[in-house]
Amino acid sequence: MDIILGIRVQEGTIIAASKAATRGISILKDTDDKTRILNTHNLVAFTGESGDTVHFTEYIQANIQLHTMRENDLELSPSAVASFVRNQLATSLRSRKPYQVNVLLAGYDVKTNTPTLNWIDYLGTQTELPYGAHGYAAFYCSSLLDRHYRTDMNIDEGLKLLDDCLEELERRMPIDFKGCYIKVVDKDGVRDITK
Amino acid sequence: MNSIAQKYTHTNNNRILNEITSARDGLASTHQLELAPSIQLPPISQPTDFLRAHTDDATNPDCKIKIAHGTTTLAFRFQGGIIVAVDSRATQGNWIASQTVKKVIEINPFLLGTMAGGAADCQYWETWLGTQCRLHELREKERISVAAASKILGNLVYEYKGMGLSMGTMVCGYTKKEGPTIYYVDSDGTRLKGDLFCVGSGQTFAYGVLDSEYKWDLTIEEALYLGKRSILAATHRDAYSGGSVNLFHVAEEGWVFHGNHNVGDIFYDIKEKEKSFNNVDG
Amino acid sequence: MSDPSSINGGTAVAMVGKDCIAIASDLRLGNQSLGLANNFEKVFQFGDKTFMALTGLASDVITLKETFRLKNNLYNLREEREIEPQTLANLVSSTLYEKRFGPYFIGPIVAGLDSKTSKPFICGFDLIGCIDFAKDFIVSGTATDQLYGMCESLYEPNLEPEDLFETISQALLNAVDRDALSGWGAVVYIVTKDKVVKRTLRTRQD
Repeated sequence: MDIILGIRVQEGTIIAASKAATRGISILKDTDDKTRILNTHNLVAFTGESGDTVHFTEYIQANIQLHTMRENDLELSPSAVASFVRNQLATSLRSRKPYQVNVLLAGYDVKTNTPTLNWIDYLGTQTELPYGAHGYAAFYCSSLLDRHYRTDMNIDEGLKLLDDCLEELERRMPIDFKGCYIKVVDKDGVRDITK
Repeated sequence: MNSIAQKYTHTNNNRILNEITSARDGLASTHQLELAPSIQLPPISQPTDFLRAHTDDATNPDCKIKIAHGTTTLAFRFQGGIIVAVDSRATQGNWIASQTVKKVIEINPFLLGTMAGGAADCQYWETWLGTQCRLHELREKERISVAAASKILGNLVYEYKGMGLSMGTMVCGYTKKEGPTIYYVDSDGTRLKGDLFCVGSGQTFAYGVLDSEYKWDLTIEEALYLGKRSILAATHRDAYSGGSVNLFHVAEEGWVFHGNHNVGDIFYDIKEKEKSFNNVDG
Repeated sequence: MSDPSSINGGTAVAMVGKDCIAIASDLRLGNQSLGLANNFEKVFQFGDKTFMALTGLASDVITLKETFRLKNNLYNLREEREIEPQTLANLVSSTLYEKRFGPYFIGPIVAGLDSKTSKPFICGFDLIGCIDFAKDFIVSGTATDQLYGMCESLYEPNLEPEDLFETISQALLNAVDRDALSGWGAVVYIVTKDKVVKRTLRTRQD
């Protein structure tokens, strides 16, 4: 089971995504990046049915980049990206072969200077959260974050909290997810800060 | 009406049936002489399949008999003994059947059992375990060890393996030779000794908080609070846990009850004091 | 438990009072047993005194909220007036029936006051658009059974706005406390001739 975790702090949003790509009983790759950059201030992290995930997110990525080109480098805001992704998934749900992809969208709205974290599942359920996860990770981390999350945290405190979450997952999850890529989206855009 | 019914049915005229019935009655009556109840099986070829077809929510959501489920229970060992904390919600599907279930079963003044899974299964067999422990005391003139008590329960549920018993329990106690001891026993027949267990649908949420703050050197006060707080975390996130928190401390002198804490009352107090639950307004 | 209308959980209720209506919902958004968000309002405003509540599959709740926002905006532009509760009810009905053979998994409620007569109007729907006109109350969502019990016993006709608020709040609160998939906060709108009051209720968080 893949791990996707997000925490929103004062200056930005932090995303963690597990490195293991598992198929059946084997780990095929331990450097799999389950994130894609949509535009300078929006990052998507995904889990779900293999094949669907990468195909869907790259389709989203291409469309958002196309939008940026057409609109003279005017980029879609995090809420607009979230609506677009949700709409694609909700439409797909009632098609012949729905995408089974769950995503977290980390964004930074440059107009209002607010970081956002959007939780969207394959049904097209969308909600804006201070912290969230998909899959089993949510069952271990939600309570831990309920306990330790503060609204006024900075990035360093957020990263410390994220480490606590990953430590808990490593302790309790029955499979090795080979660590996580950690990315931050803030006013300067997307950066990888994996240790 | 009765006479017509008798005339046209042959209940009393079938010799073989009579013989079987009388034999069965004979057996039943000797059973009645023993005061301890016996578990009866339905007179059909596959009792286990029958039970599963009518009670297993996962395989058949339309099943008519919903067994009370959904729980968070935890127990952990620390410097000052054992903390046992549980929620008090029982659900049948999405219906909250009760918010005031006692999920800690006081087997005797030194032994506690927790209850997760089938409420009736846990209640019945842990009460039964209490009688077995008392019989052990009378026979051996010595209190039963936690290891032995949990093994009695473990062996019992293993006898019924595959027949639909559903229980996940922690047998917690203190004896001179063992010290504070926790055994996890479930209806698969698993029996594990350990320092820290969370059991039930809300187990992961309880683990999340418990693991992040657990130390061996906790004071009794701190440990009681951590137990309560971990269950609170689970009642918040898990739809099938809730109601109130029941707290127990087990030490050399036996167990002590540390109150029933209604989630509705303690949630906002704890939120304000800890500055936690920042996802909740108010 | 893969019934689409009870994956996310959630409940709504509407009541008629004396020259007023009340409409309320819980705030929980869940994914089966896991609670996700406690700010998921299920009551939406269309015009001054027209409201709609949507329960059921959260994805469809969002889709329909947006669909009706679009349709309402187009209506406003074309008619140069705000939509009446009656009209919205018929719009909801026909929109749902368009998806007769692949329905949205929702249970809508429409409630409001007529803009001219200020006469209270409430109605509910099944998922394919059958309108259920009611004079007293309409319930919807995963705590439907519990709400019927509460409303049948607490409701009385011609309540003043303050009393209606108390009645609908108690009905909703006590109903969701017996439903595993509802709760986590609640919101109540009281609509009278000259104002709309929104109140958020502080509830149990388990």
